[in-house]
Amino acid sequence: MISIQEKVADCLVRAGSTFREDQKNAYRKAIADETNVQSCWVMQQVLDNAIVAEDRRSPLCDDTGIPHLFLEVGKKRSVTGELLGQIKEGVAMGLRQLPGRPMAIKGDDYARIDQSGGLDEDSGALAPSPILIKPVEEDVLRLTILMLGGGPAIRGITQRVFHKHSVDVVIEEIVNRAKEGVSKLGCSPCVLAVGIGRSQFEATSLMMEAMVYGDFSKQSDFEKRITEKVNEANIGPLGLGGKHSVLATFAKIGPQRASGVRIVALRPCCCFEPRRATIEL
Amino acid sequence: MQKEIELTTPLSEESISQLKVGDVVTITGNIYTGRDAVLPKIVKASQEGTLNDLGIDLQGSVIFHTAVSPAGVGPTSSNKVEIECTFEPLSKAGVKMHLGKGAISKETVKALSEQNAVFAIIPPVTALLGSQTVEREVIAFPELGMEAFNRLKVVKYQAIIAAAKGESIYD
Ligand code: SF4
Repeated sequence: MISIQEKVADCLVRAGSTFREDQKNAYRKAIADETNVQSCWVMQQVLDNAIVAEDRRSPLCDDTGIPHLFLEVGKKRSVTGELLGQIKEGVAMGLRQLPGRPMAIKGDDYARIDQSGGLDEDSGALAPSPILIKPVEEDVLRLTILMLGGGPAIRGITQRVFHKHSVDVVIEEIVNRAKEGVSKLGCSPCVLAVGIGRSQFEATSLMMEAMVYGDFSKQSDFEKRITEKVNEANIGPLGLGGKHSVLATFAKIGPQRASGVRIVALRPCCCFEPRRATIEL
Repeated sequence: MQKEIELTTPLSEESISQLKVGDVVTITGNIYTGRDAVLPKIVKASQEGTLNDLGIDLQGSVIFHTAVSPAGVGPTSSNKVEIECTFEPLSKAGVKMHLGKGAISKETVKALSEQNAVFAIIPPVTALLGSQTVEREVIAFPELGMEAFNRLKVVKYQAIIAAAKGESIYD
């Protein structure tokens, strides 16, 4: 029998090395539709890279990302401390197999901030993010691993929007923030991950959920409107211009406050993201 | 798809002077790697005339702005101050192509042109680059770990010319 640790390790390697079919198709469609030859070249390189990475089970990018964990729990399933420990061990095993770039910063609080303690050479020493747990109707215990790179973390923004009782106002603000983020990110075309909630924590959790469930072939009207407006900016892959600065938007709108404010979390995911894979435990 | 111009290192003055912004090139042969931690040290060594002692020959060379880790290689932003400020002195010391990503300043574009050197950008395609890298070796400053100065032997790395002859693809 395959252990939980091995299942989790395999899931992490797939997350860091594989494009899903909907992701590959989004690239094929964009390449066929793009008139800017240089942008076509960039997107073809990204797609070729995905095919080689999947074949070799090797990292899509040398910034292999920080593992972020999302656990769906059915009504009859239970999460024990032992299971969480096994998941953590599986993450370390997967990071060594990928291999992840050694990115664990050593030392006390100050040394971790100013990086004076150096890096741990062990890829597996990298701690995953806190785990997000979601109750679901299905009878499952399902783990999704997202590998989140540094570029989008630099360009992401979580901030309030005063909605003025208009969806258009909120969309416009998201689009303006996204245009700036995408143009500065460099590693485009992007996928915009958006969460809208009542607090910074809730909005960010919703944004995580959007990355977990997002599908390039299923776009809501809200998501399409954001993608189309950002693409009007002609930023293009690697900033070289063209119609495809953004390939899709993955948005999750949660409960909202009875007030004039909406908290919006926005992450301009880079050309390989959301790097994710799912496993039933 | 665009036609590719095949380049082999060391790069000659003529092979560089034919390049223009937007050209897709393939690079084959030995190239160097370095980023913010090591490139200022290479500039210093070149100014002090100690490059030979370190086993480095920059004539006709390519410098790829990347770390070299177990995960592979991939471009870092070339417009980080510690990297971009090395374009001019390293070009004067013989580097013909700086390989990375991101927009560089007008001053740097001009300085490159004066030395008949170019800036090329490469997408962050680590798996593809891994399949096109046949050798890697630490040449200098091994104490910098992933950021040491390395030599890679590569076959047909693809890149796009982003600055040449005083022009930039981002203009
Ligand atoms: S932004 Fe994405 S593609 Fe660019 S270096 Fe980071 S992880 Fe890699």
